[in-house]
Amino acid sequence: MKKFLKIFSFIICLSALFYWIIPSQSNSSTIEKIKKRGYLLWGSDTEGGAPYVFPDPKDPSKLIGFEVDLSEAIARELGVKAKQAQNAWDSLIPALKRGDFDIVMNGIEITPQRQAEVLFSLPYYIYTEQLVVRKEETEIKNINDLKGKKVGTLSGAVAQDILTNLGGVDVRIYSGQVEPYEDLALGRLDAVLLDLPIAAYYAKPNPKLKYTGNPVGEGFYGIAIRKGDDELKKKIDEILIKLLKSGEIKKIYEKWDMWNETQEKLFKVAKKSKDYVTLEETKKAPIYTFFPNLLKGAGITILISVSSMALAIVLGLIITILRLYSRPPFSTAATAYIEIYRGTPLLIQLYILYYGLPNIGISLSPLLAAFIGLGMNYAAYEAELYRAGINAVPKGQMEAALSLGMTQSLAIKRIIMPQAVRIALPGVTNDFIALFKDSSLVSVIAMVELTKTYSILAATTLRFFELGLIVAFLYFAMSYPLSLLARKLEERLRVSKK
Amino acid sequence: MIKVKNLHKYYGDYHLFKGINLNIQKGEVVVFIGPSGSGKSTFLRCINGLEYFQEGEIAVNDIELHSINRLRPSKEDLETIRKVRLKVGMVFQQFNLFPHMTVMENIIEAPTRVLNINKSEAVENALSLLRRINIEKKANSYPDELSGGEQQRVAIARALAMKPAAMLFDEPTSSLDPEMVGEVLSVIKDLVEEGMTTLIATHEMGFAKEVADRVVVFDKGDIIEIGTPEEIFTSPKTERTKTFLSRVLK
Repeated sequence: MKKFLKIFSFIICLSALFYWIIPSQSNSSTIEKIKKRGYLLWGSDTEGGAPYVFPDPKDPSKLIGFEVDLSEAIARELGVKAKQAQNAWDSLIPALKRGDFDIVMNGIEITPQRQAEVLFSLPYYIYTEQLVVRKEETEIKNINDLKGKKVGTLSGAVAQDILTNLGGVDVRIYSGQVEPYEDLALGRLDAVLLDLPIAAYYAKPNPKLKYTGNPVGEGFYGIAIRKGDDELKKKIDEILIKLLKSGEIKKIYEKWDMWNETQEKLFKVAKKSKDYVTLEETKKAPIYTFFPNLLKGAGITILISVSSMALAIVLGLIITILRLYSRPPFSTAATAYIEIYRGTPLLIQLYILYYGLPNIGISLSPLLAAFIGLGMNYAAYEAELYRAGINAVPKGQMEAALSLGMTQSLAIKRIIMPQAVRIALPGVTNDFIALFKDSSLVSVIAMVELTKTYSILAATTLRFFELGLIVAFLYFAMSYPLSLLARKLEERLRVSKK
Repeated sequence: MIKVKNLHKYYGDYHLFKGINLNIQKGEVVVFIGPSGSGKSTFLRCINGLEYFQEGEIAVNDIELHSINRLRPSKEDLETIRKVRLKVGMVFQQFNLFPHMTVMENIIEAPTRVLNINKSEAVENALSLLRRINIEKKANSYPDELSGGEQQRVAIARALAMKPAAMLFDEPTSSLDPEMVGEVLSVIKDLVEEGMTTLIATHEMGFAKEVADRVVVFDKGDIIEIGTPEEIFTSPKTERTKTFLSRVLK
């Protein structure tokens, strides 16, 4: 335990050190830098998708979207060109603070939490949240009918807060915009609540889905600017007002089928300039209030890791025995299994299991898909470890067992496997620890485990550092006892007992 | 009780055994000698089915082992081989004790799992075998806590626990330090004196002379001479035997 504390405090010191070494802000004016450089660097996530900023389906090397149009207009007014910088949506704000780009424009809702971290320009779009259900749905008419229903939304989006505040809603968090609608169409969700532009692009054209109820929860997209860059903020506000008055903004939104009456309010907002959002300083929630969520995430991580490792150990054993001791086609099938699972990314396997299989009529729940996906993938690696273990058992052992009249299967069970497992054990433990961390990949199929919980909490509160340390500690606290246990087991099971 | 008829064995294109015939009577002690690679070990391994052969027939106590398709032995073939193995115990040059089991577990494993003898009876029997080879104190030790000589004696006890009708020894003293050879040979000698049918491949010429009823000389896969120890060691008939003996008896 003492050793464990020592290691942990060392890690904390080290990360604190890094945190302070990285300069968070520079002193020379950003506006001067933009002009000198000749282009405005704006951060966004093209993976976030249409209609904000996304690769042109006709020419994927080109980016299109209403924010692309808008950024080009702003850059033009600044007398420079616009250049997009790719960054994961969840961490756009921290990346901006770090100085990776000049501004962030990517459907960032103006919220008090974010206003505590960065400056916001005047709003450039008024979004609403649109509830989408399946065509045949009759029960759900508006968001008050969502109690006890499975409702999908995006991580870190305002819709998530709305759903959470309703209470009693089974909120499912996604990181992509396509997947929630996909799962809704497949019947894995009862409804999806997301920003209207997203619904307009992804749900409206889908014949299986329909809008229900009026848009709710009006809010503002703003351009995020580093604190201290007041000069740049002033300039961008002026440009936005100019573009609004000239009608250019309206034209852009009409092009993307996003203009509606609500947007008329942008003019009012521009005039009054400060009243559009209540700027009450939210108190920072004490860190312990996050523990229930984090511990729940950790629980799911443990559940997924332990169950899929159990599957991997058993399935791996069967595959090894088929590969080494059976005849074609079984041995060939076992070899093919190993090669295919080792030769393709786990992420793709999970996508196929969860989003691909429904095409042939098999629809797995997220938990089941995670369990099978991880288990089947790791089974291939366990099988290779066992095979190495079996090959390391001298040939004379099998001969001695056979010469005593044992059948081959009895010899494998009693003589070969016990020795092979002892040889393979360190590798299996290693894999178990790796699996603990790989389990974070299942967040792509709507499982909210520990890493996902972290990215959701961090994206909404922007407390990447403190939460990151806590999550790292939780992972460490889960895997370190495992290492200790494995070491004990190895000692007890050592082949030679000297 | 062991009859070998017209045995042929190939390794790929290499024709090792070109039709070997040999009959061994119950209670007989036959020692196989010859240079390394001459086929004496392979011959013993053919008898208990650890090596396949392409032509001919081996019969142990009326159980007949024929040439068997090595790649696809049928269930019946495997069962025949297993029946033969139950009749003949085998002791290897490398001992091949099971390292994850104690001496006692090594000995009772096959009797309890293969012959379904109940455990207390198997332990009783094992203890009396361990007393015979004089290491009953090591019953709960693991193989790597024993000397080479002790390990080989346990390996003999393990084979005897299956109550075989014959014993095959494949160079039982070749991996031992010289000072341990004696203890192993004396255990084998005791067995021989009890009347066990015994086949031994060995380089120990003195021991061969002492215990053998017949000595079989192998060279390049051929049996070049069979005779009593006196005949072979004092008046060998063939040149090849003479050359071999002059080399090892220096």
